[in-house]
Amino acid sequence: MTVIGVLGGSGTVGRVVVDRLTEYGLGRLRVGGRDLDRAAAVCRAFPQATAEPMRVDLHDPQNLREFCTGCDVVVNCAGPSYQVLDAVARVALAAGAHYVDAAGDLAAIDALESAPPPELDERAAVFSAGLMPGLSGLLPRLLATGPLARLDVYVGGAARIGELSAVDALLTRGPQFGTALAVWRDGRIVPGALAPLRAVTLPGFRGRVHAWPFLSVETARLAADLGVGELRNYTVYVTEAIPRALAAAWADGGPAERHVPAVVAAADADIAATGPYYTLLFQAVPAPGQPAGPDRPRRLLLQTPDSYALSGVVAAITVGELLEGRIKPGARAAAECLDAADVFARLTGDPLVTAAELH
Amino acid sequence: MTPSSSSPDVTDSIEAELSRIWGELLDLDPAGIPPDTGFLRLGGDSVLAVRMSAMVRKRLAVELALSDVTVEITLDHLADLVRRRASGEGAARALPVEIERRPDPSASFPLMPLQQGYFVGQHDGWELSYDSAHFYGDVGLVGVDGDEAADALEDALTRLALHQPMLRARITPEGEQYVLPPDSPGAIPRPRVYDLREAAPDEVEAHLRAVRNEMRTTGPNPLDGPGLDIRLSLLPGDRGRLHTAMSLLTLDGWSATLLNRELLTLAADWNAVLAPLGVDFGDYVTSLGRLRDTEAYAADRDWWWERLDGAPAPPALPLHTDPRDVRPTTMGTREDRLAAERWTALRERCAAHGVTPSAAMVTAFGVVLARWAGHRRMLLNSLQLNRLPLHPDIHRVIGAFATTMLLPVELERGRTFTELAGDVQRTFTEHAAHNLVSGVEVSRELARRRGTTRPIGPVVFQSTLGMDAAMGERQAESAGPLGELVFDDFHHQLRTPQVALEVRFYEVREEMAIVFSLVEELFDADQVDAAFTDLLTLIGSLADGPGWDRVVELPAVGDPEGATGDLSLDRLPERGADQQEGPPADELEQRICELWEEILGVPVLDRATGFFSLGGDSLLAVRALARIAKEVGTAPSVREFLDAPTVAGLAAAVRARLEGSRR
Ligand SMILES: NC(=O)c1ccc[n+]([C@@H]2O[C@H](COP(=O)([O-])OP(=O)(O)OC[C@H]3O[C@@H](n4cnc5c(N)ncnc54)[C@H](OP(=O)(O)O)[C@@H]3O)[C@@H](O)[C@H]2O)c1
Repeated sequence: MTVIGVLGGSGTVGRVVVDRLTEYGLGRLRVGGRDLDRAAAVCRAFPQATAEPMRVDLHDPQNLREFCTGCDVVVNCAGPSYQVLDAVARVALAAGAHYVDAAGDLAAIDALESAPPPELDERAAVFSAGLMPGLSGLLPRLLATGPLARLDVYVGGAARIGELSAVDALLTRGPQFGTALAVWRDGRIVPGALAPLRAVTLPGFRGRVHAWPFLSVETARLAADLGVGELRNYTVYVTEAIPRALAAAWADGGPAERHVPAVVAAADADIAATGPYYTLLFQAVPAPGQPAGPDRPRRLLLQTPDSYALSGVVAAITVGELLEGRIKPGARAAAECLDAADVFARLTGDPLVTAAELH
Repeated sequence: MTPSSSSPDVTDSIEAELSRIWGELLDLDPAGIPPDTGFLRLGGDSVLAVRMSAMVRKRLAVELALSDVTVEITLDHLADLVRRRASGEGAARALPVEIERRPDPSASFPLMPLQQGYFVGQHDGWELSYDSAHFYGDVGLVGVDGDEAADALEDALTRLALHQPMLRARITPEGEQYVLPPDSPGAIPRPRVYDLREAAPDEVEAHLRAVRNEMRTTGPNPLDGPGLDIRLSLLPGDRGRLHTAMSLLTLDGWSATLLNRELLTLAADWNAVLAPLGVDFGDYVTSLGRLRDTEAYAADRDWWWERLDGAPAPPALPLHTDPRDVRPTTMGTREDRLAAERWTALRERCAAHGVTPSAAMVTAFGVVLARWAGHRRMLLNSLQLNRLPLHPDIHRVIGAFATTMLLPVELERGRTFTELAGDVQRTFTEHAAHNLVSGVEVSRELARRRGTTRPIGPVVFQSTLGMDAAMGERQAESAGPLGELVFDDFHHQLRTPQVALEVRFYEVREEMAIVFSLVEELFDADQVDAAFTDLLTLIGSLADGPGWDRVVELPAVGDPEGATGDLSLDRLPERGADQQEGPPADELEQRICELWEEILGVPVLDRATGFFSLGGDSLLAVRALARIAKEVGTAPSVREFLDAPTVAGLAAAVRARLEGSRR
């Protein structure tokens, strides 16, 4: 029988991975974390008894090897991902498993590819199998039914930020991740082309929101892939608390951990303002002269009350695709190896998706 | 003498200077002004109070906060205040900008909010709008020197246009304004003269009717010529008529009075020279623009915004027809005068009851509206002619300074007129102390919040009582070769957009004029007559005395009651916006989105998004439609656009036009 290891399965993202994998009936689960009681508690929540807890610390190589051994797929939901990079992937691949990471940016893929392990010829290592990065680079592909003059990406809302993700948010800066205020235009990144939008209304977002231009590496690759004339990528906040907290932290410098409480508090302030919700909005402008019609959608809108949990759903779907043999071997980003239409259809039926519109 | 500001000499000089200022303004002997009597009782009013703060600013270099200078202030209190402000103590809310002369007096500058409203109105932007927003008046002349009059008038108008730059103003199609240099062709308006000195009586009558009709219905338009049209009819028997039409886009009511005075002064005397002006309208508008970035402006805006959600509706006057469905060409008038002795008596009684005549009149108007509409809480729009006291010459400058102020009126039952007027005056003063944000801007925000494109304040109050005194010398009655003005033989007509009913109070020599201007098509004429009579009766009882202490009869209802099914001014039906949400459906909608993004600086992603909810205003709408017309070949009028001001709505309107023209 298929065995799937969920590293960090007792966390916010991991718990949902465990839940959906159980629901999809893809195999037996091995739920790992440093705290065995927490992992065991997650397993007890599933009466089918298809999940067993295992104590594991990813910083202990021996420990990690034991966890991966015997798994067909290892899903990583532990972090922080800037630190983990390709470490877990290498061990999983060496143990003969496929690998799925709910996080991990281009930096992790680059790290793995810089010295590719031989197992990559037969196994797949899929990174960024979450919401952003992840769905943010995948779903807009549904709008590319013909050449596009412009593509706008707005992702954000009010969501709790865990301490682990806060560290990731603080450290995912710099050219490996993206360029603030930049736009993609005519095949290249144009820095400083966009200004923050303050107090604007956007379809799918509540009240007035603030949108910060940030051309992520993921969307820049998407733009190049699709050959769009212009791509604007905004991160949306419901108040200015988070951008303010991040700016203050970056101005101050010092270890990221010191600023975690401020970022977590800012996110809580956002939730207090609007209640939790998260929206992905993609809108395309077809190149001139393109026919219009119901088979040529211009907008895709997805909403969820919990962006972390939805990342777990994406990771679980990715595991399914892997086991079905639909993902070729090699190191890749989820956005570039999943089928957008399939994933959108699966998400539409998921209880964590409160709105899924394509028109 | 010590230079210390606390020395008795300097202290004395503050009192002495203030007495001199009051003496000049109130025409009193400075030495005899009692230090403990209020400005109002001494004959002052709110208009003079504004002028007083400008004089204090100039002569004592002390900035008084707008809210400080109330009509109740005494000379003692004022001296105290000046001393505190001079020492920088509690300098609460002075005007945070300085007026500066612009380096290039012919440079273009933006329209004031109310000018924008008129501008958009001329583009058929509002329901209840006209091809021109203007005031027309004609007055009889006797003892005219028929051979000299034409030259005298032309010469006077030339000299006046050199003195007052806004008489040379033009407005661009994009909604900016600029002043033509005196030597550019057409800059100086020329009068037109009709010589009917030999004409038969019926010919004279036909001529006057024709001129009046033409000037009432076709106002001067500063988009393509001067904003002023002056004509002189020379009639048999050394009589004549002076016809004046003024565009509200370039001249406000205060300017109209100034214009008449200065024109007649110059006509009366070839050698008369007007005191030079140290500032012009463009300078004023430009410094007001800087005001928008100040904290004081933000504080005023917050003050208004906080009150908006609780603001009442306009009076629920019963309507014949939806204002959207009428196309008036002129406004109807009801008017009367309060004779000199009764007007004097009214002024004295107002002072004795501690209210300004303007406050008493807006209260009286409110009472009449309450009885007519059947409820006591309502939103009025008041036209404000007070200019911000940025410069001591500002009250002598011609321009479109006027602004509006929304005034919620709440009349309690079981109170005397004295009490009601006191309440209204307090509300008025409190609102006027936040006048850095104009009523036009406040109305725009209110409309946005209520999600309506229907008029927000269609009932208007305007009073220029006290203005004559504020301007200094009184109106000349003799104008040299033009003869004498016969003020009892005065005909006038106002056309102002977005107004259903406007009441005006002003002084004509020793009398007070009371005028209703209204869109007749909307109302039942009998109801208008009855309301006007009610107003006259009430004012009469105030002039004669007994009206003050009587408990005022008012309806029991506060806010208008829910749907009765009948059409009334507070509840105009909205045209249903039935566009489906979604991304732009075709290239035209997409083009509109991109154009709006460019004009408004925000993303426009949905076809059901409203132009105004995105932050657009009517002036931007005019610009957006002009761009559409240029790019697509046609665009709807602003007024059609207001019916469905969304991306999809505009696209539908454009498509309908394109199809119409193809057919
Ligand atoms: N792509 C996206 O859109 C997206 C969205 C949300 C989150 N994420 C990423 O997903 C990751 C998880 O986020 P989260 O909010 O779920 O975090 P979390 O709630 O803190 O959960 C972390 C999990 O990892 C385990 N863990 C932590 N350190 C470990 C270690 N050294 N060895 C073994 N297990 C360890 C924790 O259990 P113990 O404490 O018991 O060890 C827990 O089960 C983060 O990297 C985050 O950035 C991505």
